[in-house]
Amino acid sequence: MVDTSFATKKFQKEMNAGTSSLVLLNVLSRSKEPMYGYQIAKLLEENGPDLPLMKQGTLYPVLRSLEENGLLSSMVEPSVSGPPRRYYTITEEGREAMKEWLEIWKQTKKFVDTILKG
Amino acid sequence: MFNTIEEYLEALKNEMQGGDSALLQDALADAREHLSTALAVAREKNAELKESDALKIIIDEYGTPEETASAYKEVERRTSPSLKQAVKPQSWIIRFFGVYADARAWGALLYMLIAFITGIFYFTWAVTGISVSLSLVIFIFGLPLALLFLLSVRGLALVEGRLVEALLGIRMPRRPLFSHQGMKWFDRLKALLTDKATWLMLVYMFVQFVLGIVYFVLVVVVLSISLSFIAIPFLQEYVHQSVVEMNGVPYVLPMWIYPLLVLTGVLLWTTFMNIARGIGQLHGRFAKWMLVTE
Repeated sequence: MVDTSFATKKFQKEMNAGTSSLVLLNVLSRSKEPMYGYQIAKLLEENGPDLPLMKQGTLYPVLRSLEENGLLSSMVEPSVSGPPRRYYTITEEGREAMKEWLEIWKQTKKFVDTILKG
Repeated sequence: MFNTIEEYLEALKNEMQGGDSALLQDALADAREHLSTALAVAREKNAELKESDALKIIIDEYGTPEETASAYKEVERRTSPSLKQAVKPQSWIIRFFGVYADARAWGALLYMLIAFITGIFYFTWAVTGISVSLSLVIFIFGLPLALLFLLSVRGLALVEGRLVEALLGIRMPRRPLFSHQGMKWFDRLKALLTDKATWLMLVYMFVQFVLGIVYFVLVVVVLSISLSFIAIPFLQEYVHQSVVEMNGVPYVLPMWIYPLLVLTGVLLWTTFMNIARGIGQLHGRFAKWMLVTE
């Protein structure tokens, strides 16, 4: 018997690899204030499907790689409870990139939908 | 499964064993930030909630150590440091002169110059901090001063790491090392004092003073010697200035030697660029060893 749950998990992971960057950029582009990881995770949880598609822990490395590429900037601020928090803001390059990614997403969605409908 | 955040972090550490230590430090900082925030929120809602019960739900949403570790490894694999370039086997002459096109060599050169300034600053800061804190310890306010100083050492270590990563292309932490939350300041001072990392960072600040001077002198001396060789023909032909003088008698070098002089200057500088790249890589490894805790 082939283990389909492994393949499904892998598929989900690969889907998330692309979409999570777009989602995170979009969330930060709408927010007027800088946001920290937990805030973003909560926001996604509230607006997401009942069964979360991705673990919250996977958001952080994506945030970091977006910052690495200059699409986000961040600063650390001490918090009253616990360790200091890293607040992320979207950069101008980030906004530009998001516009392009959004276009790619729309095209992809249209294409996949068309094919699936047959 | 996990009763405390520390247990989770320990498991995450084990999961990421053998990988890059700087990546591990970042992953631990993110996890600590998220888990303790989530725990604080859960406690606000329900004060009687047991830590282990709350953590079970939080970690369920955050992901197991295996899942978190693999997410970091995955993203790191996709974003390679910008200075890393594909290496193709080539003849030695291309490799030798190819150094001019290598960002790491220029970065190393720049680092060697900057290290002079940062080295002096680190040294001054460390000496001032240590002597002021130590001498004021007899008064009570010497202790908080010592704490502030040690925290500043950590901050400077992070800044130095960013410099090393940007110029030398060695992966360094992008998050500060933070492990003493919720402690009283005195306990925090004790924890900092007994942490090997703090002392290694301090030693690095002192060593950097010496290294910074050596690097700076090397760059300036070799650059001026190389340029002098290249400049001799121009000095003799256009400025009419003799460059060799023995016992007060100026000698004019023959014209056939000009190409050799220029060639020597160029070769000397190119060789030094190659050496500088090597020094940069060595220094990067040294910095990683000193500033990043395993």
